[in-house]
Amino acid sequence: MRSTVPYDPRVSRTPEQRFVGRLGRDAIERYRRARALLGTLGSAVLAVRTPGVAARRVIRRVLLMQIFYTGFEAVPLIGTVSVLLGATIVIQTELMVPAADSALIGKVMIAVVLRELAPLITAIVVAGRSGTAIATELGNMKVSSEILALTSLGIDPPRFIVLPRLIAAVVSVLVLMVYFAATALAGTALMGVVIANIGLGAFQSGLSGALTIYDLGLFLVKGVGLGAIVGWLCCHYGLEVKSSPTEVPQMASRAVVRSLLGCVAYNTLATALFYWTVGQSLR
Amino acid sequence: MQSGLVLENASFRYGTIWVLLETSLRVSPGETLLLTGENGVGKSTLLYLLGGLLPATSGRVLLDGQAPSVTRPSELVRHGVRRGFVFQHGGLLANLTALDNVLLALRYHADVLGLDDAGVAQRGREALRDLRVAQSDFHTLPAYLSFGVRQRVALARALAIDPNFVFLDDPDQGLDEATRQIVLDLLVRLRDERRITLVLTTTDPEVIARLGVRVLELNQGRLTSMQRA
Repeated sequence: MRSTVPYDPRVSRTPEQRFVGRLGRDAIERYRRARALLGTLGSAVLAVRTPGVAARRVIRRVLLMQIFYTGFEAVPLIGTVSVLLGATIVIQTELMVPAADSALIGKVMIAVVLRELAPLITAIVVAGRSGTAIATELGNMKVSSEILALTSLGIDPPRFIVLPRLIAAVVSVLVLMVYFAATALAGTALMGVVIANIGLGAFQSGLSGALTIYDLGLFLVKGVGLGAIVGWLCCHYGLEVKSSPTEVPQMASRAVVRSLLGCVAYNTLATALFYWTVGQSLR
Repeated sequence: MQSGLVLENASFRYGTIWVLLETSLRVSPGETLLLTGENGVGKSTLLYLLGGLLPATSGRVLLDGQAPSVTRPSELVRHGVRRGFVFQHGGLLANLTALDNVLLALRYHADVLGLDDAGVAQRGREALRDLRVAQSDFHTLPAYLSFGVRQRVALARALAIDPNFVFLDDPDQGLDEATRQIVLDLLVRLRDERRITLVLTTTDPEVIARLGVRVLELNQGRLTSMQRA
């Protein structure tokens, strides 16, 4: 006769079996998390093709508001950080190479500010400022059944919630990167004139000598990638909140930490690929 | 296509706790159904399941022949399935005013509903007025509204979209007597009009008696029919 007692796999297991079982459970859990993470991005990207003229108008309005919060409101902070960083770099360069010429300073500025600091610092500021806000807002929306309410009203959360924040993060990071680079160069020029005694004309020709067309490609690749990482991960972890308010700060913190790690890793990878593909021609 | 609400051999569990066990149910179009049961038995979860807001662990839910677990919410609306949901707590978007909460879905589906901007605004205002929400509360954020007004705004939002299904989770709970009567009168009106399939949870004998419709009791994952009041 067949037993009616439910099968319990924990009964009479050897330590080896338990170890393999734990490995299996870990693997399944990691797979589930990775699937959910990709699901957040995939459903938002696929939502672009969802029909609905009226819905598109509503989402455009949400997008503009998100660009305002994420991009426009970060301008003063980005401006201050970039001017101070630009000035610091000139001071350090002058300390290391006292007779630094304009060509060298230009090369350092392009390599350090334009290729590395502008994308990374901008992404870090956006993740710290807006990423926390996004994750907290979405977490609170989950707790107070707002996401369920949207679903019940026939409003797709990936389209209404994730997509505008994702696009806003990409647009904001790109625009803020340009602003960061411009103000950092202005700060550098100012400090260069004051302490290194370099002429503005010489500084400008130094910059244009070091700048290549490849830098535009790298700038775009980094801007789009870093913005997408911040928007994607912060939306995902915000929506991972289940039903307790205590999960909101935990997920907000996780969203920012993972976004920062993701940004640093992506920035390194993009730089490595850049130098691997076009580095020889820049020497 | 089976119209109305159909539950086919559906089960649902939270972790190891089974809320519903292989249950089938049909709610005809325009019918009003009451779900009751002790606190914590899973009435709200069952309501979410019936409304297609939670996917069944096994089995399926159909709303006018459409499976909400595999169809995008906006696609449901395009297929003519319009749902209204009133949650026990919350549910109103915190960063939108009372009026904007009602207008959101109308704006989002304006092309499907055949409404222009003026039509959207008019229908939203009418929905709030029908629920006796004061004009002065129209432009107030939900956090600054009393609980009773918030529930009426939630009801107005659910009804503004001209739904064919409305789900209400303990709609009279925590309301003062005047607001409670407004809500009960509305429920009786909706029951009599038979335009909307109405499913609500309640533990209040007065609501059960006043509506006098089919009542199902949820107990240990099973739905049993109670005698009509």
